Amino acid sequence: VSGRWSVDQVLALAPDAASATTARTLATPSPWSGTGATSDLVWGLCAGSGKSPYQAIVDLSGPAYKCSCPSRKLPCKHALGLLLLWAMDAVPVAAEPADYAESWRRSRAERAAAAAVKPRGERDEQAAAKRAEQRAQRVEAGLVELERWLRDQVRSGMSAVSGSYRHAEPVAARMVDAQAPGVAAQLRRLSTVPASGDGWPERLLGGYARLHLLARAHAQLDTLPPELAATVRSYVGFPVTRESVLAEPAVTDDWLVLGVRDVLDGTIPSRRTYLRGRETSRWALLLAFDPQGMFGANPDAVLRPGTLLRADLHYYPGRPPLRVALGFRHGEPVPAPAPEPTLDLTGQADEWAAVLELDPWAGDWPAVVRGIPVADGAGWRFAEPDGASVALRLGGADPWVLVAVSGGHEVIVAGEWSAEGLRPLAVWHGEAAVPL
Amino acid sequence: VTGYRELVAAATVGLAQRPLSITVLPEPATSHSALLDTDPAAAVLDAAALLDAARRASGPVPASVQLPAPADADTAPELRPVAASIIAGVLRDGPADLLADLLAAAARAGFRAPAPLVPALLSVAVSSTALRPAVAATLGRRGSWLAAQQPDWLRVADAAAVEPGEDAWETGRLAERRAWLAELRRGEPDAARELLAAGWAREAGEDRAELIAVLAAGLSAAYEPFLEAALDDRKADVRRRAAALLARLPGSAYAARARARGTGVLSVERRGLRRRLVVTLPTEPDDAAKRDGLDPRPPDRRVGAKAWVLTQIIAAAPLELWPELLGDDPAGLVRLPVADDFGTDVHAGWRTAALRQRSAEWARALLHAGDAPQPRPGWSSDEALAALLPADERQTRAVQLLRDTGRPGVTEAALQGCPPPWTRPLITALMGFLARGVDTAQPGQIGALLPVAARGLPVDGPVDYAAEFRRLADEAPQTTVLPTAYRRAADILDLRRRFHEELH
Repeated sequence: VSGRWSVDQVLALAPDAASATTARTLATPSPWSGTGATSDLVWGLCAGSGKSPYQAIVDLSGPAYKCSCPSRKLPCKHALGLLLLWAMDAVPVAAEPADYAESWRRSRAERAAAAAVKPRGERDEQAAAKRAEQRAQRVEAGLVELERWLRDQVRSGMSAVSGSYRHAEPVAARMVDAQAPGVAAQLRRLSTVPASGDGWPERLLGGYARLHLLARAHAQLDTLPPELAATVRSYVGFPVTRESVLAEPAVTDDWLVLGVRDVLDGTIPSRRTYLRGRETSRWALLLAFDPQGMFGANPDAVLRPGTLLRADLHYYPGRPPLRVALGFRHGEPVPAPAPEPTLDLTGQADEWAAVLELDPWAGDWPAVVRGIPVADGAGWRFAEPDGASVALRLGGADPWVLVAVSGGHEVIVAGEWSAEGLRPLAVWHGEAAVPL
Repeated sequence: VTGYRELVAAATVGLAQRPLSITVLPEPATSHSALLDTDPAAAVLDAAALLDAARRASGPVPASVQLPAPADADTAPELRPVAASIIAGVLRDGPADLLADLLAAAARAGFRAPAPLVPALLSVAVSSTALRPAVAATLGRRGSWLAAQQPDWLRVADAAAVEPGEDAWETGRLAERRAWLAELRRGEPDAARELLAAGWAREAGEDRAELIAVLAAGLSAAYEPFLEAALDDRKADVRRRAAALLARLPGSAYAARARARGTGVLSVERRGLRRRLVVTLPTEPDDAAKRDGLDPRPPDRRVGAKAWVLTQIIAAAPLELWPELLGDDPAGLVRLPVADDFGTDVHAGWRTAALRQRSAEWARALLHAGDAPQPRPGWSSDEALAALLPADERQTRAVQLLRDTGRPGVTEAALQGCPPPWTRPLITALMGFLARGVDTAQPGQIGALLPVAARGLPVDGPVDYAAEFRRLADEAPQTTVLPTAYRRAADILDLRRRFHEELH
């Protein structure tokens, strides 16, 4: 049986901040009765405002939640409160689940078995092929327009948009119509660059150039190596179904969870979870999207840094391979020792250069490095004992937890490496991972 | 050679105005120079794409920085994970006094705060001074090292006992200088006095106020000339502290002046067997009185100007004056009715005097007099007075209040003034008071007592008070605040018990 989850781990399941707060008020023994836990089920009765108490059940292997309360949030505050109580060791272990918990689990298992894949009809396939063809034509026409727009910007001069933070909005909207959402998102990010202060022309031209490169690459998609073509298609925004990825061969390994970052300023909020295989030493990125920024119900989005999960990962096509779909889990996440950095800072910079050679559009790449956070004027750097260092990208956050864990000594940090420096996501304090 | 800078310059102005012909690109893109598009704008974008990739790939080049001196290794262990997660939870959700209790218990058991929590603990102690001693006590060397990196945090760390270095007096921080001076005064009081006086004129105002406060411990008549001179200090805090210290020197000129001002403001009037205190309102304070710290401006509109001066005169006068002058002991004097509604003003003065002159006898008498709690600003509280009593007497007083079914506001303050471990009679009296419940006390009064009980009841003994509280929660009238208050208190007791078990 894996260890109980930590309180933070449970709170990460909350669909929103308000749920986390109300759940904490329920994380006391008082409102609860008849609580119990087996290795994969936790259940209990929670006194509510009504006559009869609510039945809350959590299947830890999902995790999946069931509660008789009328809340539409998943998990509801009762399920979260119950998990918190369990995380605090305040739920007794039981030999057998309570009846209502057992019958819920059985019905879930039956439903899962019934939902076997239904074969698609031939007619569906024809329709899908036709839709794909239409989409390819729309994207092609859109990228021709994009290329024209980019050349116009360079011809008429970028100084015309100085200080603007939405100059590329119209063309971004056009790319949405052209079914190239990836290009649209990049244009929206570029839109704000002329208002981003010193050095904006350098950054803006770089952004234009990468889009130009993308349009050129897309124009000769058929001649590119298949992996590069897949990378180009993914930046343009062609969808890849999870099913097709799961149909690819699996990479089975003990995957160490290195760091998690929520990107809430994008069009659709996303959670990025970085993994590294213990035997294969391969990097992997799990992406979860949710329009409301609620990741609690998504089993791909609730892994915690410092745990190890034996699982089958399936890589999305592209080079270098990074994004994965999580397939079969061979077990539950278990606490893991700290990762061993395999590269020093120089080696990491070389790896980053190699990544850009394969994918010139790459924004960042996972890294595990050893060093010391050091104040440097207004900013912070991450240094090796001999003084060699890179900038820390803190994005407005303060570095103090990292500094406290380091104490001026070397620490192991997992994060995202980019042209701007290292963005720390987790630091190891002895055997324990501390999310940053 | 056309570099990235030239490309940016041309694209910023616009190729329409500033045409750019690219012939050769710099390394590592040189070999691709021939691949550029024939359209000038596309060629600029091609070149920019190549050079942008090269620029980004050269990305974070290792550069040299000055490394900080690392923290020394700690001898105290960090709190273990379960205890650490309890601290993290209370830090997030409160209450703050529970956090202070848990941290203090951790420090007593020889633990320090886990490094990842230290920044949040320091930050919360910046805004809450009551938390500072407990946070400072759990910092360890790692925490102190971190605190030294921010001035606000350093003030928190200084709440712990500071070990002053050899040249602390000349070069140390204020906290180190204070500690150094206190140490020297214990060993060589005369040398300490001379040293302080010699450099006094050069000290900053804030430092003077802090250093003069060090003299409170082991105060002697030898300091009178120094303190008398400090009454003329530019800084109000220094003058105020000097006056408070002089008031504790019975033979001082200041005490004589305060005595002279006090003589005549109070007298006993007898009518048959009944006695009462009569006030003679003082005149506007003269310059000498102002120099001795009398402030003519009342702190609040509710206090009259003359009544305020009266309070201050009584607060400054040596307490021995009143039995001599009025012919009764403190216990008798505080019970006398005061004419013309000046009772609060007279008692406010006595209360402040008892605190300044550290008189347990007057504190005892005043606590028994039964004044309403906090009737006005400038009123020294029951809690502060009770702190002058020996610990066992404080517990006895709390026991008495609980048996007498308590007085709102007073009972919980009295209980709060009893440092754990609580004696058996105190716990019995408390549980008895709660058991009588709403038959004898208002729900609000019981509700106010419960957080204090949850902090003070023992969690290392055989009795499970949390279970007891949950039983009382079921029995209490469900329409009142009590069921919730009892359950919350029970949860705090559970939390304390789990924390306690983690420490041992």
